[in-house]
Amino acid sequence: MAGNDYLTQVITRILIYGILVLSVEMCWGQTGIFTFGQAALFGLGGYVIGLVSKHMSVPDLGILMLIAIAVGTLAGFIIAIFLFSGKRVGELYVALVTLAISYICERLANSWTVLGSGNGIPGIPYPTIFGHEISTSAGLFFLAFSFFATALMLCIYIVNSQFGLTMNAVRDDEERAEFFGYKRSAVQIVIFVFAAILASVGGALFAMTEGFVSPSMSGLALSTTTVLWVVLGGRGTFFGPLLALAVLQVVNIEMQNALPSLWPILVGSLLLLTMIFLPKGLTSIPSKIREKRAKRIYT
Amino acid sequence: MTLLVIDKVSKHFGSLVAVSDATLDIGEKEIVGLIGPNGSGKSTLLHAICGRTFATSGSIYLNGSDVTALSPQQRAKLGMAIKFQLARIYLEKTVRENILISLQAGESIWSQLRSKSLKDFQKKIIEIADEFQLSEQLDQLAKSLSHGQQQWLEIAMAMAVDPALLLLDEPTAGMSPKERADTAILIKKAAQRCGVLIVEHDLDFIKELCNRISVLHQGRIVATGTPREIESSPAVKEVYLTRV
Repeated sequence: MAGNDYLTQVITRILIYGILVLSVEMCWGQTGIFTFGQAALFGLGGYVIGLVSKHMSVPDLGILMLIAIAVGTLAGFIIAIFLFSGKRVGELYVALVTLAISYICERLANSWTVLGSGNGIPGIPYPTIFGHEISTSAGLFFLAFSFFATALMLCIYIVNSQFGLTMNAVRDDEERAEFFGYKRSAVQIVIFVFAAILASVGGALFAMTEGFVSPSMSGLALSTTTVLWVVLGGRGTFFGPLLALAVLQVVNIEMQNALPSLWPILVGSLLLLTMIFLPKGLTSIPSKIREKRAKRIYT
Repeated sequence: MTLLVIDKVSKHFGSLVAVSDATLDIGEKEIVGLIGPNGSGKSTLLHAICGRTFATSGSIYLNGSDVTALSPQQRAKLGMAIKFQLARIYLEKTVRENILISLQAGESIWSQLRSKSLKDFQKKIIEIADEFQLSEQLDQLAKSLSHGQQQWLEIAMAMAVDPALLLLDEPTAGMSPKERADTAILIKKAAQRCGVLIVEHDLDFIKELCNRISVLHQGRIVATGTPREIESSPAVKEVYLTRV
């Protein structure tokens, strides 16, 4: 990254991961599709844009984003058809299949020389808009911010529309929804494809702003971390998981230096405790306190 | 005109015969009761009718269309609605949202994304809530409703789409006598608009309500007739009434 402003770089990365969080939240938090595969789609977007931008010398932002959207749509559609077009499948089945997809993608990126093997693809050129290169930290921040803001507004719009209610109906009791006449598979396929586009666009932005892509961005670690942000922040909201992402990213940088071996254990413990005691995430603490107070008053 | 025809429907689970050659019909705006002791196959037959499970043999026709192999979603589109024994409503949603979930099920995804019918549905939601004594709870979460109100909400959701056939699985389970009486009135009202099949345990409740009753025993329909005929049938007394 060309700029020196470290904080701007950190925020830019948070915004890009934020798009990935939105992708998981739309699938899992809003529709009940427990996906571990969003990192694979994130990596796919990153690698395709890295290859096109570097080897085919196409740095134009508009063209690259159209490619990222097309790639996300196609990959998302193929996976979604495989997962949802038949009989109802459980959350665990979806989680395992998407986990396997992430694993395969990471292994593929690690071993395929076209993708740079373990080194990934370095030296990806900065994107251009109308021929002007965006290479400063501020420029890349605004690029990430504009895509993040657009993605967030789109997600909020969908969730607040009548379709948002349909997504929640499928999430809360998909069999019941079918008895009302909903085509459950269509709802799941549409949302999975939308989330795949988000992930792919996020990956493309990552490649453009960081200047490289590596196997780890499409693998199990990032997939699991994204789910962790959603669990900690609270499934079913946008604010909670995004807050968890931002806090953990900032704290991560400090703690990895201060407590390199203990930090992952602390994060794992926090995740475990949250799942047991606060299944709706850390942002549900205020409402839990309010409920307890109300109970105390009335009993 | 006959609304639902169940023609020699059987359901086997391996060597176990849960339902054997069940034959039943329901006319438009008719209330038919299906009773039987525990394990008689009532729920299995109801599941075969609504599409939760598929009949091993036999046919089911709704308004003349063969629905035997159709999915629940396809049956719903043809006008079949169901209320489950344990109310399956959306507890974390308001009463208003629950009714809307039912109403908008037939809308396309594109139309739902544009919230095109939201305004039109509001009037219908108020009418339905009013009919099922839920107008004061419209903006309350469904989980805050009493047991009886939750059952009514599910019937309201089923009735919201003006179905041709309403399937009710033990609609008064766990209700107080007052709630049972109110439920009976609601079902009678519903039957002015559609055919109703009630699966029940309680003969006293069903005999006041139904035009006809069928009695299921060990997977077979052993008697069908008016409530009076069923009450006086020696066969029914032997296989069912003495065992309750």
